[in-house]
Amino acid sequence: MDNVLHHLFPLLRGGTGNLAAYLAAHVLLCLLPAFFIAGAMAALIPKEIITRFLGRSTPGTVSYPAAAAAASLLAVCSCTIVPLFAGIYKKGAGIGPAMTFLFFAPAANILALVYTGGVIGPDLAVARLLLSLTFGIGIGLLMAIVFRTDDAARDRLTDTLFAGQREQGMSRAALTFLLAWVALLLIGTLKLGVLTGAHLRIEVPIAGTDAWQSILDRLVPYDAARGEEGLSVQGVALIGLLAAIGITAWRGLENVHEGVSPWTRTCLALIAATLLLAALSLQTTPEALRVGFTGRFFGVAIVLGALYALARYRLSEEELRSWLWESWRFVKQILPLLLVGVFVVGMIRVLIRPEWIEAIAGTNSIGGNLAGVAFGVFMYFPTLVEVPVAKMFLELGMHRGPLLAYLISDPELSLQSILIIAAIIGKAKTGTYVALVAVLSTVAGLSYGAWVDGTPVMSLALWLLAFIAAFAALLAAANRRSTSLSGV
Amino acid sequence: MLTIKVLGPGCANCRKLEEIARQAVKSLNVRADIVEVTDMREIIDHDVLKTPGLVINGKLVSSGRIPTAEQIAGWIEAAG
Repeated sequence: MDNVLHHLFPLLRGGTGNLAAYLAAHVLLCLLPAFFIAGAMAALIPKEIITRFLGRSTPGTVSYPAAAAAASLLAVCSCTIVPLFAGIYKKGAGIGPAMTFLFFAPAANILALVYTGGVIGPDLAVARLLLSLTFGIGIGLLMAIVFRTDDAARDRLTDTLFAGQREQGMSRAALTFLLAWVALLLIGTLKLGVLTGAHLRIEVPIAGTDAWQSILDRLVPYDAARGEEGLSVQGVALIGLLAAIGITAWRGLENVHEGVSPWTRTCLALIAATLLLAALSLQTTPEALRVGFTGRFFGVAIVLGALYALARYRLSEEELRSWLWESWRFVKQILPLLLVGVFVVGMIRVLIRPEWIEAIAGTNSIGGNLAGVAFGVFMYFPTLVEVPVAKMFLELGMHRGPLLAYLISDPELSLQSILIIAAIIGKAKTGTYVALVAVLSTVAGLSYGAWVDGTPVMSLALWLLAFIAAFAALLAAANRRSTSLSGV
Repeated sequence: MLTIKVLGPGCANCRKLEEIARQAVKSLNVRADIVEVTDMREIIDHDVLKTPGLVINGKLVSSGRIPTAEQIAGWIEAAG
């Protein structure tokens, strides 16, 4: 028994420490605004702005970019992805744009991008976006080439779903509101000197705050070399506030369709207070608590004021309610699984030795990238959990190339999504899609890894273009042979 | 007798819509059959791109959003 406890204790402590550090450091200024942005996108952008470009009569030069835009703006939730995908495929632009949409949606999802940028680094988020866009359109085009005979047959079906849509603009207030949240996100996460430096300092005479900090340091060990982030006194206060937000949100946002209650107001006020507290810089000294008002604090305060004014005077009651509901729904759907995931990742990190990771994927080799993709395909993590998993690998010595290969393939391919796709487009097409994603994720990882290792961007772009062209020619040739053999 | 269909693959919003539709039916004191449609083919047949969708007596009245109970009551009265 003692023996079991002896082994279990470091695991539990690893999990708790990771969870506490994540809640304090990453959730707030990055994930909270991201959830509200996702909610605003789902509630306030009229889908007709984009979907009317997805009809059958639209030329490819418009429908492929439109499919990508639809994926990043409209498809934050899987219950939106499936009907849109089936609609585009069956009654709209066809298999090419439908595949672009399907591939790009999980990769360009605002939550995934923001979280990747906040936890791992903006460079990886940008690489994830650009390479997914390139390969998303690439995969769409390839599927359209491979299955062009099928597509021609479906052309006789009618085009009622997309053609009937009228143009409908987005209200200016809603757009400003959305952009203000994006500004809040940028101010909260960018690491610029103007934002992080303190412009005003005050000392609050509370003695002994350093003693609290040393207790925390003992509970949650701080070791940058091992990727352990530690926990500050400020972090504890923030975790407390988060718990309070959780309780008030349950009472105030769950039933927001029946109207805005005092609980709703309390919850929103607590969120504002939390964001402001997180933007302060707190230092503990033996005599006092030193509070630094950073540029970030003033920026967050100004944007929060603007958001309040917009929500109060410009948005309609219905817009406000559906925005709050959509944001809350994302939190309910994603956050519990994410917290469990972060806890488990913290436990597993204690068990994995850096030598193993370094031996398999420590350099930007084809084998390393394939290993990253294979892990992404066979492991299924709930939305966003792939990010803390990736961070763990990075800290254990994985090269950024294989890491990106893993990050791209993991959300694209899960058993669940493969089954849904197979039900709509059939097994042969699904198999082709899965194979294409695996190959192209490997190539994406290799390209990004090469960039990290110092290869110039121009030669990389050329090699990517050449690769896609060669690959398309190969597939087209293979397809011609197989159709002539089967006599169709 | 009304037939109200809630279209959606069983996500949180679809359940919410069904709940609100039930409230609307109750408040009007009418008899109505509320059916959940989860089959993707049938949903697409109603020309719905974004779930949840609401169909009253075969006519699509809303999609991609959650209407309020009063709005649904208004549609039910218009259909009945």
